[in-house]
This record gives sequence, structure tokens and C-alpha cells, in this order.
Amino acid sequence: MSEETEQKSVESNEIKENGRLGTLIHRVRELPSNYRMAFISSWRNKERGLAVFAGVFLASLVITTVLSYGVGLSQIFLATSLEGEPVDAKIEFDRKPAEGTDGWTNNSTVMMEVCDELVADFVEFTDCALTLGRQGIHGGGFFNQDFIVAQPLEMRSMKANSNPLWEDMRFNYPELEDAGPPISEMRGIRFMGPGAFDGELADRFGANIIDGLGEWPSPETMEEERGLILPSNLVSDARAQVGNKIDSLSFVYVTQTAELGSDSITPENCAGEITSERNEQTYCREEFTVQNLTILGVYDPWDFGNPTLSPNPIFASLTTLSDEQQRLLIDNDHIYLSMTVNRSLIPSSSTTEAAEWLEELGMEVGDREYANGTVEVFYFDIVSGTITFLQIFLGLIQAFDYIIMIPIVVLSIAVLIYGLVLSLEQRRREISIQRVIGADTQRLSGMVLLELSVIAFAGWVVGYLLAMIAVPIVLSAVGFLVFSELTTEVNPALSFAATLFTAFATLGVALLFGRSRTREFIEMEIDEGVRTISKKRPPRRWLHWTMFAIGMLSFTDTALEQNGSEDGLYSNFFLEGLFGIFGPFFLWIGGALLLAWIGAKGPYIMQFIFGKTALLKDVKRGLKGSGSSESINRLSVIMLLTLSIVTLAAVQGYTGTLVDERTADANVGSELQMVMDGPRNQSQVEAVLSEYYPDGEIVAMTVPQILLSPTAGGDSYLTYVLMNNSDEVLRWNEQAIPGEGSDPSIYDGLTFSAGEDAAYALDLWGSGRRSNDAADIVLSASDSRSEIINFTNIDLIPVDTNSSLEERIGILFAYSLAMELDLSGTDLSDQNLSNRDFGRTNFMNTDLSGANLSGANLSESLFIDTDITNTNFSDANLENAIFFDTASILFLPEDATFADVTSKIGLYDFSVTESTDGMTCPNGETAPDANCTTFTQFPELLTPFLFEQADFVITSTQSELRYLGVHTYIPGVPSASMASSLIISEEAWRAFVGDEKADTHNSTTWIFHLPDISGDDLKALASVIEADSRVSSTTDWETAHEAVERDGGLIFGTPGLLSLQFVVASIAAVASAFVFLSLVLTQRQKELAILQAIGASPNQIIRLVLFEILSIVLVSMLLGIILGIGVAFSFNGFFDVFGFIFQIFGGTSTVIERELVYPWAQLGLVTFSVFIAVVLALIVTTRRALSADLASVLKGE
Amino acid sequence: MLEVTNLTKAFGSGSNKLQVLKGVDMAITKGEMVALMGPSGCGKSTLLNIIGGLLSADSGEIDLEGRTYGRQKPSDVVDIRRKGVGWIFQDFHLVPSLSAKDNVAMALELCGYKSEEAEERAIYALNEVGLGDRTHHIPDQLSGGQQQRVAIARAIAGKRSILLADEPTGNLDIASGKEIMELFKRLCKDADNPISILMVTHDPDLATQADRMLLLRDGKTFASDIRSAWGIEEEE
Repeated sequence: MSEETEQKSVESNEIKENGRLGTLIHRVRELPSNYRMAFISSWRNKERGLAVFAGVFLASLVITTVLSYGVGLSQIFLATSLEGEPVDAKIEFDRKPAEGTDGWTNNSTVMMEVCDELVADFVEFTDCALTLGRQGIHGGGFFNQDFIVAQPLEMRSMKANSNPLWEDMRFNYPELEDAGPPISEMRGIRFMGPGAFDGELADRFGANIIDGLGEWPSPETMEEERGLILPSNLVSDARAQVGNKIDSLSFVYVTQTAELGSDSITPENCAGEITSERNEQTYCREEFTVQNLTILGVYDPWDFGNPTLSPNPIFASLTTLSDEQQRLLIDNDHIYLSMTVNRSLIPSSSTTEAAEWLEELGMEVGDREYANGTVEVFYFDIVSGTITFLQIFLGLIQAFDYIIMIPIVVLSIAVLIYGLVLSLEQRRREISIQRVIGADTQRLSGMVLLELSVIAFAGWVVGYLLAMIAVPIVLSAVGFLVFSELTTEVNPALSFAATLFTAFATLGVALLFGRSRTREFIEMEIDEGVRTISKKRPPRRWLHWTMFAIGMLSFTDTALEQNGSEDGLYSNFFLEGLFGIFGPFFLWIGGALLLAWIGAKGPYIMQFIFGKTALLKDVKRGLKGSGSSESINRLSVIMLLTLSIVTLAAVQGYTGTLVDERTADANVGSELQMVMDGPRNQSQVEAVLSEYYPDGEIVAMTVPQILLSPTAGGDSYLTYVLMNNSDEVLRWNEQAIPGEGSDPSIYDGLTFSAGEDAAYALDLWGSGRRSNDAADIVLSASDSRSEIINFTNIDLIPVDTNSSLEERIGILFAYSLAMELDLSGTDLSDQNLSNRDFGRTNFMNTDLSGANLSGANLSESLFIDTDITNTNFSDANLENAIFFDTASILFLPEDATFADVTSKIGLYDFSVTESTDGMTCPNGETAPDANCTTFTQFPELLTPFLFEQADFVITSTQSELRYLGVHTYIPGVPSASMASSLIISEEAWRAFVGDEKADTHNSTTWIFHLPDISGDDLKALASVIEADSRVSSTTDWETAHEAVERDGGLIFGTPGLLSLQFVVASIAAVASAFVFLSLVLTQRQKELAILQAIGASPNQIIRLVLFEILSIVLVSMLLGIILGIGVAFSFNGFFDVFGFIFQIFGGTSTVIERELVYPWAQLGLVTFSVFIAVVLALIVTTRRALSADLASVLKGE
Repeated sequence: MLEVTNLTKAFGSGSNKLQVLKGVDMAITKGEMVALMGPSGCGKSTLLNIIGGLLSADSGEIDLEGRTYGRQKPSDVVDIRRKGVGWIFQDFHLVPSLSAKDNVAMALELCGYKSEEAEERAIYALNEVGLGDRTHHIPDQLSGGQQQRVAIARAIAGKRSILLADEPTGNLDIASGKEIMELFKRLCKDADNPISILMVTHDPDLATQADRMLLLRDGKTFASDIRSAWGIEEEE
């Protein structure tokens, strides 16, 4: 290449550069004025702008809400789940402490300094308290073996001279068996340093102290009083009160741990108790006793949450322990620092981010050394453990919630697209004309897009902002359109990426769609573009039909299953799930598109009704062929979509709210349920309640139970008695008892109903045993299906004894058959059976001479005439074992008294044994201190037969009862066994047990109707009563309802989303009616002018337009409601699929059927509002069309 | 039969005010076909619209077979449009979704005829304009000339005394235009029920077929021949 040409090409490049740059600069300079023009242009064409604005706004509102809702939901979820555990982190020694290892100290003062250091150095920590409690875990995560090894300080006993009940108190915590990993099944105790009694920790712990029952004390009070803070159930069991003194309290700590099977722990090296436990570890535990304590506070137990720290322990002050005790506990790793993290610093945008943040904090804490390099710590994070669990659950909930929101998202996108189509259609001619006069492609699409972007941007911003305001409200929903204040602060701000996504999904879609449409217009033949009516593509009916057919398939399946069919149409669970989830959506969209076709034919349909009337006589012909236009069809589609969503949301929302209420009704029965500590009669329980609630009306009721069996033979059935005042007290539901109604007075006279299983076993009508057998009806006396069955009730009535002693002893032998292991009569002499488990074993006539039973579990076993010569019982557990020597009664007189018997039974000569050191005696005491001389504890069951001067006579009464039908449950009565139970009337009950017994009936469980109290007052009343020593527990309707609302009938958050759907769809219906009508009528202005020119009066025009549009809208709305009901029904299948998943997580209570509720009033209101909006829009736009200059409309284009 | 007296009409206000009609006087007798001509923007359509009851005049009066109107709003002269004048537009203005018969019958029904009578008259009128075999076709299935004939049938079916035609052949080819003019002539000369036609046109050929020409200039009408109507007299 020559120099010259090179030069040229450089020059030309420069020019190009300049040219490009110039264009760019020019464009940038033009931008403000272009936007100004676009703004002005969009303002001038308000109608077409409005359609785009409405679409983008709605889509932006909905999509932003859905995303932001997810953020808020996870925040609330995090906050709620953290409420269960006040302590956020457990900081322990890095390694197990041992003599001579680095990085640990057994000086508690040093550890308190570490505490201060942590709070001072880490802004993330708000409080710290030295705690002696659970051992160090030293490993990550709770799926780790290490996690279940570390033991808490287990409670053993409490004693108070003033209150003997403490001595009987057992500190087992059986609920722990089913809750989380197998760590310990005993109640724990935590000794906490002063840090726990001020600052954040005190706030968090103090929040659960029951009003009026002490306080979470200050560090000084805690130390001076040697305070104890106890869970309310312990206090209630011991009938203790705040201020009571506890003389001594003992607990055990772990000194040695070994894997099960290893013999490293022996009685020689373990001075305390050796136990093998469910976590496959053997522990050596030693006991500590502290004295002279005071109960300072009573707290409401927390729900079980994260299992890292033993739940609901006894709290005591660190200073209660002696220095030596503290040192020993620290030496055995029973030390940690209870930390609180500043939770507002935890990133809340996603749980993953929060988990990462916490992990980083843990690493940072662990990487440093404390107390001048003498202490190394391990950070065990409790919050992130909670988050791990949360993520799984939250993921499911969000999936569910997002799926629920699909209809409204689809609707908003549909409005957006239709709005765009309508608005761009108006520009088709304009674009073609511009082309005629020479505008280029770029300029044209620029012109359209600029205007679009201005409007769409405004719509997006307004929708986005409104969503931000709406989300906290949606999150605060506790029922359908029922909102309560949020207890946790939410800040559902979207991340930048999510915000971008909302912009793309709305603005982006609008612009992309606008661009492609403009291109289409530009590529069109000019001639075609200028035409007033564009060619229509025929709608894809086959697609609509296919979708509708799939939807109907799922609908039919749900319908079949709800009406008793086992499998419905298909039994494959995968198909079931697939159809369950997608079926409703197909039904909805396919149905809407098909029905819109009918909706657009609304005028024809309505003509059948109004055709002959004066209303239509002269304009009827004008209606022919109406509805064929595309915009009318779209109006119909939008009306169908919106109204069906409104219906779906209202039906499912109200159903959910009602299911919540009914579940609470079914759980509690009425306003309040009390379980007393022992059987009481009605006036007694009313007296207890009126102590706390003196002024209001109280109606008490109980549901007695008896056993009935058919006299003709067969199993006996647990039978509940419906008292006559049950209609007054219980909150009934039609599902509960036979018949469509909910009036318990159907139990009239000698009648009974049966649960489904019981009905099946008794071969009664209604059990589903025969075909056509599932109706929920009350059988009348004349009905042949109402069988009469003779029942027998067997009752034990105590009478003065006349049975001989031998007969009574015989019962003891009978009892031996109930033992779990039978070793009776075997020769086990000289066997080594040490540390074996022989709980509930029958040792009758067994030879145990010389056997080694040291450390064995022999609790509740039966030793009748057992040879225990030289048996080694050291450290064996013989608690509640029964010893009996038949020889001893041979010397009793013939007419032995009670005292004679008791003096012989249960005494056993342990002096013949080799050793009883450390043995737990049958009475629970430890040998040799007590030498096991006191009376054997006989099982409660046997006591009356053996020792009381009475016998029980079996009496049987018979009565014929008439069958009423199948029941499901009684409100307030646990429903698990209801299906296999009977319910009888009070009259029938009295026929069995007699009036005398009925009148003095005692029960522990009572249900109260308290018409004058509700809400928070009721909750407060229930919690105060619960602390009463005569009451074991209370359940109130309000608390039960709140629990159900949170995670009950509907799944977490769903009521809020359904409310949102309802409101948004209602607004969308009204707004789109307005927008679409004004667009449609603008298009029809000319047609109306022609009609006027050929003689139509304004009155005729209004009648014509109103009738045509209103009949389309009305028919579409009605079809929409029908479709909505169908979809709501079909959605029940979807709820079933997710309900199943949530049941796995949540556990089940009384399952209330999701019988759909049809809130006609609300639906009517929305329909009416939409209708009014349409009429208004029509009148306004028609009047405008009528007042327009006819001449110029006709002349103009 | 039609008598227009001193009709004025202005558009706009203030300095923008444009006085279009400045006192038009004219009359048409029964069975007469009159061509209204004049340069663009001279007010031909305005005059037609006022006579047709689609626009109100500022002053002046119209007498159509005893009915007097002119200054009322269009919504108050429905009766004129129903019984007095029939409209024929350049682009036909038929209802696209209705058949030819329905287009005609609908107009009759709107004017108060019973359904059966409206249909009878519609068929009669369609026969009249030579579309007896096209009664069930919708406008899209008809040619331009046929569509205009449906429009004419619609206008005459209601026994109106005068047809107002605004460029009736403007959108038609020459042959169709001729046919329409033939039809007009026949309607005017109908022995039983002669009809008057006031037609705005720019086409001198059409105008020559009219009984009479009216020239609208400077807001007033002059009886004239074609040349003066076109304002080309002076140039030559």
C-alpha cells in the first residue's frame, strides 16, 4: 500500500470517527428535547398511554411484590425462628480442656474477661455471659457425631422442707425424645454469670417471664438471693411460688465419656453414676449439690427450636457454685460463653447471605487468641444452624407462594401485552403515513420507543414504589383480608439484581414488544398499514381446547377424589403431582380463552332475554355481528381473567381463614380448655376459674368417656358423651357430626353416631363399606338404614371386699404376665450380668444366687420368691421393683388385716446379698444409707387390689341405641381416635351409668364457654390460670388460632398473597375496564357518528352501546366467576400436594377439610364495582363520542 | 320543498374566526337534482352538514317540507335525519358486520319502523337500487359501487324527501360512478315518489348531469354553470 492511499484511509477513518462521534454528540444533545417531545406526545394521547401505563404498572407492582415478599418472608421467618432461642452463639474452648494443654484456663474470672474482650472487639456481639452448662461440642454442625456427645448439666433433685412435692419431682424431659438428636432426656440447668442478667441477654430472657410471676433479676439480686428461674410447668407441678426457698438442688456433670461397649469407665474409676444412653455413649456423672436457693422468676417455656442448648432449663446464678465446683465444671468442659449477636447486622436479603456472614464471624472469632494469648475458642453458631433448617422449609414455602402468584403475574403480563397491542395498533397508520413522507426505520422505531419508554418507566417506578409499601401489609396478613401488626421489623428491600429483573420483566418486555411491533409495522406493505382495519390472525382454538382439556382432567380428578373415589382418574403419584400443580393453571388460561369467545357473544345471549322488550326493539339489528372485533374479545378475556382471579382468591382466601378458625375451634372446643391436676366436678372447676375471672359468664362442660361394646359381641368402643349443653359451649362445625347442619341436638334420646372406622366395624350405613354410602346425613328414626344396636357398658364398681388374701396375691401373679421379659424359674446363679438392662423382668422363682448384677437396670422388675443369696446388687437400679416372699404370708392369720399384709409384702432381706452398695432401692433411695427397709412401691394399678379393703365388681348395663350417622370429631376433643369411636347422647349415657354417677361426674379436662372475653384478654387469662397449682395446662382459642394462622390451615404467608391477588385483581378489573373501554369506544367513534347520521338518536346510541358492552362485560364476569370457582376447586388438589409436604414438617392436628367457602357478598361487591366502573366508563366515553362534532368525525379518519 | 334562508356559520373565535357561510339562500324543489360546487374549503360540506342536521348554524333558517331547523344542536334534530334527509357519504359508511339488508333495515328500525316492515322496505329499496340478489352480502363482499348503492338504498328506504350526497362517487371508478349517477337520476324522476338530491362534487361531468348547479363562493351561493362554479371563467 502506498503512502498516499494509507494517508487517505487514515483521513477517511478520521472523518468517519468524527462523523460517528458527531452523530453521537448530536443524539445526546437531542435527548432531553426528544424526551420532552415524547413526554408531550404521550400526554396528548392519554388513552393509548394509559393502556401501556396500566399494563407496566400492574406488572411492576405484582412482580416487585412477589420478589420483595420473598425477601420479607425470609426476614420474618428468620426473626420468628430466632425467637425460640435467646442465645445466638455458644463460644467454647477450642479443644477439650485437660491438665497441661494450652489455650484454656479453669479460672472463671479469666473467662469473664474473655467475654468482655469479645464484646469490646466485635461490633457484632451485643452481650456475653459466662455459662456453666452444656459441654463443649468442638465440631461443626448438628449432623455431626460430636454434636450429640456433649452433655448438659442434668437436673437430679430439688428439696424444700416447706414443700414435700419437690422431692417427688422427676426431672425427666420425655418430650426431648422426639425432638431433635438424642443428646439428653433430662431437664438441664445453666449457671449463668452476671452478664446474663443485664443487657441484651436479660432483655431476651426476660421477655418470657410470666407477668406477675417474678422477674428476670438484676445481677445483684440474682447473686444475693441465690436465685433460680424455673419453667412454669415445673413450678405448677410442685405448686411452688415465686419467693419460695429451695433448700438443696443437685445436678450431675460428666466426668468421663466413652463409646458404648468400651469398658474404660468402671465403678473403680467412676465415683458417680455410670449410664449408657441412647446416643451410644457411656457416661460417668458425678453429682453436685447447691444449697439455700430462692425462686425469683417463672418463665413461659420456649418452643423447641435449635437443639444446641438444652431447652427450657433451670437458670441459676454462677455465684451459687463454690470456686471449687466452678473449677471442676470447667475442667470437665461444662463451660461456654452465651453470646448475643446484633441481629440487625445479619444480612437479611437472603438466608444464604446470612449464613455466610455468620460463618465469617465464626472464623474471625476462632482465629484470634484471648486473655493475652492464653485462651483459644471455638465458635458454635446457633443462628446459622437455625438458618440451615430454615432454608429447606423456606424454599418450599416460597415455591408454594410463587406458584400461587402465577395467575396474577400472568394477568398482569396479559394486561401489559393487550395494552401494548391496543396502543400500538393506533400507531400503525401513523407509522405507515410517516413512511410515505419518508421517515426512516430508525427514526420511526425511535419515535415509538421513546414514547413507550417514558410511559413504561413511569409505570414501572410507580408500581415498584407501591409494591414496597404494599409488601409489609401483605406480610402482616393473618387471614384473608385480615391484618395484624407485624411483630418483627421487615425491610423487604430488593437487591440491585432483583430490581433490575423487575425493570426487565416490565419495562424491558414493553420495549422489546414495542420494538418488534414497530418493526412489523415498518415491514408491512404501506398500503396494508394505512388501511383502517388490519387483517386478523385466526385465534389458535386448538391450543385453547388442549389447555382446557388438560385442566378439566385435573379438575375431574380432584372432584372424583373429593367425592370418595380412592384414586380419581390416575393413581400414579407423579402424574398426581404434575396435574395437581399445573392443572389449575391450564384450566384457568384455557378456560379464559375459550369462555372469552362466549363472553364476546354476550349481546346475543342477552338478546334472548331483552330481545322483545322496548329496550332493544329498535336497536336489535345493530347488535348483529357485534363482538367479532378483536378488542371486544380482549376486553372479554381480561374480564374473565380478572374476575376469575378475584373469585379464586376470595374463595381460597375465605376458605383458608375459615379453616384456620375451624381448626382452632376443633382444637380448643370453645374459648378455653383447662386440664386440671386431678378429676374435679363442674362446680369445682368453675370455682377455680372464677377466682381469676370473677365477673364474666362461665359455662363449663366436659366430655365424659365410657366403653361400649355391642351386646351381641365384638370389640368395645371408646365412647364420648355429648352433654346437653354442648350446643351452648362447643363451637360446632357441620363437618363434625352427621348431617349438613351443626346442631348437636340431633343426639336426641337414646342415639349414637359412629366414626368411620367404627361404622365400618359395626357394618353400619355411611362407612363407605357399601357403594353409594358416603352422604353426610342424619338418619331419621323411620329410616331403615338407622339400625338399632344393643350396647353393653361394663363398669367397675368398688364394693366391700370378700375376696381372700390368696385371691389377692393371685393378682400379683397375674401381673407377672405383663412383664416385658420372662426369666421366671431360670437358673442364673453365678452369672455375670453386670450393667445389663433387666427393666420390667419377671424373676419369679429365679435363681440369682451369686450372680453379678452390679450396675444392672432392674427397675420395675418382679422378684417373687427369687433366690438372691450372695447376689451382687452394687449400683444396680431397683427402683419400683417389687419383692415378695410368698412364704411370709403363710404365717398370717386367716382374717388378715390390711396392716398385716403390708407388713409382710415388699420387705425383703437384702442382708443375704453380697453387696448393695450404691444400689437404688425399690423406693428410689440409695443403699446403704436407707438399707431398703421401706415399703416397696407397688404399681398404681395393683395397689387397690392388693391393699384396699374393697373389691371391684363388674357391672354391666345394656341399652338399645339408635344409629344417627357418621361423625368426624367433637370440638375440643383430640381427634386421633375419633374415627374408631362412638358418640352418644347424654340421655344414653345416663341410661348406662345412672343419674347418680352422671350428676357427680368428675373429669380432668374441662371446656369453657366464656362469651364475655376474647382476644388478648383471653390469652392473658389462660396464661395466668396455667400457673395455678390446681391446673396442669390451659389452651385458649386465641393462642390456638394464632398458632394455626401462622402455620395452619393455609400455609405461611398465603392469606397475604391471596389478599393481594384479590385486591390487585379487583383493581385491575376496574382499571382495565376503564382503559379498554375508552380505547374501544375511541375506535368506534366514527361508527357511532354514522349511526347518528342515518337517524339514530343519542338515546338509541347509548342504549345500543351500553347494551352491547354491558352484556359482554356481564356475561364475561359471570363466566369469570364460574371459571374462578372451578379453578379454586381445582386448586384444592394443589393445596393437597403442598399440604402433604408441609405436614411432614409441621406435624398434624385435626384435619379440617378444605370445604370451599363462597363469599358471595364480597364477590358480589367486586362484580358490582366493576360493573359500575364499566357503566361509568361507558357513559363518559359514549357521551364524549356523542358530543363530538359529527361532521368532522365522519369526514376525518 | 327545501328552503334555506340567510344561513351563516363561522368556525373558531377571535382573530382566528373564520366566517365560512355568510348568509346562504337557496331552494330545491321536489325531484330536483342539484350539484353544489365550489373551491376547496369554501364551505360546501359545511352547508351540507347543516342541512343534514349534523352541524348547527349560527343564524338563518332551513325549511324542509314544513320542518324548520338550522340553529339547533345535532342531537336536537334527530327527526330531520330520520325523516327528512338521507345521507350518502364518499366512503359509504356501512356497518361492516351487517349484511346489505340489515344495513338498510337497521336504519329503518332506528327511525321507528317495526322489524317486519323494515325488512320489507329494505328489500324493496335494495331491489330499487338493483341489489335484489345481494341482500345477504356483507359490505366486504360487495364492490365499491355496490356498497354505495346499499348506502343509497339505506338513504331512500325511509321515504325521505332529500338525499344529501357528499362526493358520492369520489371513491368509485368511472363506470361505477356513472351507474350511481344513473340511479340518482332515476330516483329523482320516479313517478310515484320523486326524490330531491343535493350533491357536493368536484367532478364537472357529474355536475353537468344535475338539473341545476349551485356555486358556493365567499360564503354565498350563486346559481351558475360549471365554468363559473369552478371559478375558471376569469382565467380564460
